[in-house]
Amino acid sequence: MTTAIVQAQSRTTTPSPARELPGGYAGKLLRVDLTKKKCWAEPWSADEMRELLGGVGLGAMILYRETATKGGRGNVSWDHPDNRLILATGPMAGLPAWGSSGLTVVTIGAGTNGPTSTQANGFFGTNLKYSGYDAIVIQGQSRDWVYLYINDDAVELRDAKFLVGKDTWATQDALGPQLGLSGHMLSVYSIGPAGENLVRFAAIQGDYGHVASKNGCGAVMGKKKLKAVAIVRGTKSLRAADPRGLVQAADDIGFDLRTDPSAKSLYEYGTLPGVVNLSRLGALPIKNYTTNVPPVDMSQWEAPKLREGFDHRGHQCSACGMHHCHMSVIRKGEHKGTIVDEPEYEGWSGAGWAIGAMSDIDGVAWLNTELDRACLDVNEFGWICGWVMECQEKGYLTEAQVGFRLTWGDIKGAARLIQMISHRQGFGNVLAEGVKRAAEKLGSPAKDCAIYTEKGAAPRGHDHRARWDEMLDTCTSGTGTLESGVPVHPAEIGQPTRINTFDGEAVAKFIAGIRGRRNFEDSLGMCIFTTRTRLENLCRVLNAATGWDVTVPDTVRFGRRTAAILRAASLRCGLTPDLERPSTRYGSTPVDGPAKGQAVGEQWEKMVDTWYREVGYDRKTGKPLPATLKALGLDWLAKDLWGKRASRR
Amino acid sequence: MLATTTHVLRIHPEKCTGCLRCELACSYMQTGTFQPAKSVIRVSPFEGHTSYAPYTCTQCAEGWCMTACPVGAITINAAGAKDVLDDTCVGCKLCTIACPYGTMFYDPDTRKAFKCNLCGGAPACAEACPTAAITYEATATADWLGEFARERTARVLAGAR
Amino acid sequence: MATRHLIIGGGTAGMNAIRTIREEEGERSEIALVSAETPYSRMVLPYYLDRSIAESHVFTATPRVLADWGVKPHVGRRATALDTRANVCTLDDGTRLEYDDCLIATGSSAVRAPVPGADGRGVHSFWTLDEARAVLAEIAPGSHVVMVGAGFIAFTILNSILALGAKLTIVEVAPRILPRMVDDAGARLVEDWLTKHGVAIRTGAKLTRIEDAKGRKRLRFAAGGDLVCDVVIMATGIKTNLEWLKGSGVTVNRGVVVDDRLRSSVPNVYAAGDIAEGRDLITGEPAVHAIEPTAQEHGRVVGANMAGKDVHYRGSLIVNIVEVCHLDVASFGAWDDERAEIASGVKPDRPAYRKLLWRGDRLTGAIILGPSSDIWTTNDVGMLKGLVQSGVSLARFKAHLKRNPFDVKPVFIASKTTSALLPETILGRPSKAPGNTPVAV
Repeated sequence: MTTAIVQAQSRTTTPSPARELPGGYAGKLLRVDLTKKKCWAEPWSADEMRELLGGVGLGAMILYRETATKGGRGNVSWDHPDNRLILATGPMAGLPAWGSSGLTVVTIGAGTNGPTSTQANGFFGTNLKYSGYDAIVIQGQSRDWVYLYINDDAVELRDAKFLVGKDTWATQDALGPQLGLSGHMLSVYSIGPAGENLVRFAAIQGDYGHVASKNGCGAVMGKKKLKAVAIVRGTKSLRAADPRGLVQAADDIGFDLRTDPSAKSLYEYGTLPGVVNLSRLGALPIKNYTTNVPPVDMSQWEAPKLREGFDHRGHQCSACGMHHCHMSVIRKGEHKGTIVDEPEYEGWSGAGWAIGAMSDIDGVAWLNTELDRACLDVNEFGWICGWVMECQEKGYLTEAQVGFRLTWGDIKGAARLIQMISHRQGFGNVLAEGVKRAAEKLGSPAKDCAIYTEKGAAPRGHDHRARWDEMLDTCTSGTGTLESGVPVHPAEIGQPTRINTFDGEAVAKFIAGIRGRRNFEDSLGMCIFTTRTRLENLCRVLNAATGWDVTVPDTVRFGRRTAAILRAASLRCGLTPDLERPSTRYGSTPVDGPAKGQAVGEQWEKMVDTWYREVGYDRKTGKPLPATLKALGLDWLAKDLWGKRASRR
Repeated sequence: MLATTTHVLRIHPEKCTGCLRCELACSYMQTGTFQPAKSVIRVSPFEGHTSYAPYTCTQCAEGWCMTACPVGAITINAAGAKDVLDDTCVGCKLCTIACPYGTMFYDPDTRKAFKCNLCGGAPACAEACPTAAITYEATATADWLGEFARERTARVLAGAR
Repeated sequence: MATRHLIIGGGTAGMNAIRTIREEEGERSEIALVSAETPYSRMVLPYYLDRSIAESHVFTATPRVLADWGVKPHVGRRATALDTRANVCTLDDGTRLEYDDCLIATGSSAVRAPVPGADGRGVHSFWTLDEARAVLAEIAPGSHVVMVGAGFIAFTILNSILALGAKLTIVEVAPRILPRMVDDAGARLVEDWLTKHGVAIRTGAKLTRIEDAKGRKRLRFAAGGDLVCDVVIMATGIKTNLEWLKGSGVTVNRGVVVDDRLRSSVPNVYAAGDIAEGRDLITGEPAVHAIEPTAQEHGRVVGANMAGKDVHYRGSLIVNIVEVCHLDVASFGAWDDERAEIASGVKPDRPAYRKLLWRGDRLTGAIILGPSSDIWTTNDVGMLKGLVQSGVSLARFKAHLKRNPFDVKPVFIASKTTSALLPETILGRPSKAPGNTPVAV
C-alpha cells in the first residue's frame, strides 16, 4: 500500500511565499491526516512566523486551536483521533548555529492527558527544512501501521508492517538500506515497542540517541499507528536575511559556549559532569530518593573518567561544535563491542543511580540505550524501576506480583522490566500506565514511595528536593516537564544570579521571573544546550536569519505568551491547580546528604501562592488573569478564558 | 608566472563528528544560501552512524575535469585549485564523467558544473569546522580517508554479516 | 631546421595535440593544421542549438589563437591523400604539405538512413556546425520535429529541441532506445520518463521513405502509420573518415590501427580520436571509441610523443553521460559485458537505476541513472568512473555493493581508490591549465 500524495501542485495553487518569506523559514507546514491517508502542504504567513516562531510557539497555538471540544471548553484526550501530534522545528534549523536541527514535539500527552512540549535534536530539523517544511502536523488515526516518508515534494504514507515490533534503532537500521540512504541523508524518528503498546511514558526516538521523551508522546504516535517519520535530506535552499551576520553571530555563540565558564564544561563534556556535581548538592537521585549519600567512590563518575571508559566517537547534531553527543563502543564485559549512545546525565541517573546501579558503568550505558531502543522515557523508567525495587525490598510488592525478584542495581532485571513494560506483559501492564497510575492502583504504602506529580507527569532525573525551583516548575508547568528552568544568565532579564535555594519565596519568585526564556529557546529549532548563551546573542542570530528586530524583552514576552496558551490548553484538559503538587515521596524531606532536613513540603503552598502572584495567574482557577493576557497581547485568549468578564478584570 | 601554492584541504577523519557544518558553509559560498545538496564537500558516514568524514576534491595533478573540458572552462586559480569559469561552462557534464573521484558536480538550476575551488584560498569549510577536522595546510595532497574508512567499515561492509 | 608537425583534423584530438606539443617541446617546432572547418567543439553544439550560448562560443581556436600558438592554418581544406614514403600530404586544392611527423585526426561524419528522400529539403543531420546552423534555422516554437534514431547523438540534442518549444517524436528501428549506451532496463526507464515528459517515442519502426507534404515532411514506415512533421533530424549513426587514407600505407582496420604511443603502422604517422583504433582500457582490445574523452586523451598523448617525449598510453575508457528532462544517464566501461558478474538495483519510488559489472573483484562497467536532483547530491557518477578506471580490488566490499548497488561512496573510499588514482596522470606530469599554452613570441 502506498498512498502517494505529491504536493507539487501546492506550489502552483498557493501564492508563492518567496518574496515576503523571512529568512530561515521553509514557508510551509506539512499536514498529515492519517484517517484519510492524506498529506498536504499548508503555507503559513510571515506574520504568523513572527508571532509563533516555530517549535513550541507554533505547536502550542496549533494545539490550542485544533484540539478543543464542547464549544471550546473541553479538550480531546491524548488517544482521540483529533489529537494533534506536532513535530515542529524552528527558524534556526538548517542554519549554521550550533545544534540547530531541533525537533519539538507538541501534543496532548498520554502521561498527564494534557499538553506536552518535549525536544530532541539530531538531523530532524535540517532534513525537514531542506525538504521545504517548517513543521509536520499529524491528525487522525491510521487503521494499519504506516510510516511517513518525506523526500522533498514526495510525501507518502507507507506500509510499516515490516517495522512493527522493531525497536527504534532497528527501525532506522531497516529503513536506511531499504531507501538506499546512509548517514544523515536520512533522518528517522520512530517509536519502539513501548510506543506501539501505548505505554504512557513512551518516547519518540531518532537518529540513534535523540529522544523527545516526555509525557508519553510516543504513545500518541502509537495510537495513531504511525511507526516512524523518515525524512530524506531535502535539496531546497534556506535563505538568510543577512548571511554573513548569521555566520558571525553563530560563531560568536560557539565562542561563548567554548569559553564562558558557565558553559565550558557543557561544551567539553556535555551533561556528564552532572553526576558528580549534583551529588554534591544532594540533587542526584539515589535509589528512588531513599538516600542522598553516594555509597561508592565518586571519582569513577568524573566526566573525563566516564569518557575514557569507552571508545568514543563524535555523533554531533547538525552544525554543532559541542563535545556533547557521542557514540560509545563498550570496551569490556558482557556487552563488549556493542555500540551505544553515550548516556546524558539523565541516562546515568535514570538507568543508574535511581535504580541503585552505581558502579556498573558499562551496564548503565547499555541499559540507557535499551530504553532508547524500546522508546521509554529514561526518567520515568528510573522512578518506576526504582520504586519496584524499593517496594520489593520493603515487602510492599511480592516477587509473585512482579514475576521475579528485582533488587537494587540489577541491570539484567531492569532490562527484563523494560521488555515487560514495553510489551505490557504481566505486571509490566500495570507499570506501563506510568508511575502515578501504577502507584495509585497499588495504594499505600507502596504508593507513598512513588515519585510523580499529581498531574501524572514524571519529574526530570534529579532529586528535586534539593532543586525546589525545578519541583515547582515541574508541578506548575504546561508542558508536562520543566517549562521555565534551567536558568541561563538570569541577570540579563533582571533576575538575581543567585538565590537561597531553600527559601521558598525566593525560589518561586525566581522561577516565575525567568519564565518565558525556555519556551523561546524551544521555538528556535536549536538545542537547549547550544542556547546557553546570552539572549542578546540569540536575538542577533535570529534577526540575522529572519531580518527581524527581535529584542531581549520580546523573547521573554514571546515565551510567556506561549506559556499562557499552553496553560489555557492544560485547563481545558482538566489539569487544574489542585493537581499542581508533588507526590508524597517526591515532596518529602531528604533524610541524609547535603539537603538533609530541607522540607519543601512545609513551604509548598506558599511557594505556589507566590508563583501564581508573580506570573499573574488566578490561584483558584489556574487561569492567566485578563490583565496578564492583555499585557502579552493575548486579548483573544482573555476572551476565551474569561468571556465577557475579561474586560471587567 | 603565478607562484604555485602547495596549500590543500587536509582531512583529519578521526576528528569529524558528522555535524555537517562544513557543508552548510560550502553551500553558502557556492550558492549564497544554505543548501547542502549543493555543497562540494560532503560528509560520508562509516560504520553505520558512529563515524564520519568529509570528502572533497583533492586538486589532483591530472585535473581530469580540466583536461576533459571541451571549452577550456576549467582553469587553475591563484590558490592552485581547479576552478570552473561560469561564463565559459556550457554544462555538458564531460568533466563529471572524467573526474574519477566524484568531486565534479552539475547544478540543474544554473546548468553549470561546479566544484571545490578552495574558496580562492580561504576555504569556508575549514573555517566552519568546529573540531578542526578540516585544515588548510601547506602539504602534498593525499588520500586522507582511505585508511580510516577501511578500519571504520570493517564491521558494516565486510561481506555478508 | 625545426621539426615540422602536420596535424590533419581540427577537432578535439588535433587541438589537444597542438597544445600539448607547445607545452612539451624543448625547441620551437613548426606546426601546420589542416581542418575542413574552423576548429570548434562538437560537444557544445547542443547548447548553441538551444541558444544558451552564442555561435562564437563554440570555437576552440580562432585564427588569432592559432597565430598565438604559432600554427600555420589550412582551414577550409581537406586532406585527400597521404604519401607516407615521401612524407607528403595532399590537400583538396592540390597543396602538398611536407612533414616530419603527422597526426591523422580526421574524425567521423554522420550517415543517414538509406531511404528515399533522406537527402531532401528539411531533412538534416546534426553533426557539424553547419548542420547545427541549418537545424536552428528551421525549428520554431510549435514545430513538429521527428528524430530518426534514438542513440547517444540524438539524445544530446533532445533537451535543446524541447527548449526551442518544438514537439518531438523519436523513431527508432531497433526495439528500444539508446542501444549503445544503456541496457534494456535502463532504456525502459528513460523511455517511460520521456513519454511522461511529452516526447512521443516509436521503437521498432522501420522508416521506408521521406516525402514532401505540402511544405511539410511525411515519413512512411514499413508497418504503416505515417508521421507528418516540419523538420526531420537524422541521427542514424556515424562513420569513420578513412577513405582518403587508401594507398597511404597506413594499416587500417575499423580505424587506423595504433600502438600504445598512438603510432600507426608508419612510425612517424600518428592517429587519434574517432579515427584511431587504440587500446580499450578495460578489455585491452583494440577499439574505435568515437567519444570526446578518448579524442582528448589521444590528442595529448600524441602531442607529447610528437614533441619528443615517450608517453605510453594505457588505453581509453568508454564514458558517456546524457541528460533528458532532468534525468541523468551515464555509463562506464564494459557496461554491456555479457560474461561479467552483475548486480543491479532500482528504487521503487523513482526512476533510479544502477547496474554494476565485475570481472573478479574489479568493477569493469557501470550504469547510473536517476533524476538530476538525486544524482548530483551524490558523488556517485565520478566514483563509478574512478572504480572502473582504477580497477582497484574491491575484495570484501564487493559483497556490500552487490547487496546495495546504490552505496558506492563508502566502498570507493574504503577501497583506497583515491590512493590508487592520485599518482595517475596521462602525460606523467601535472596538467596545465588551458589558458597556459605557451604562445609564440
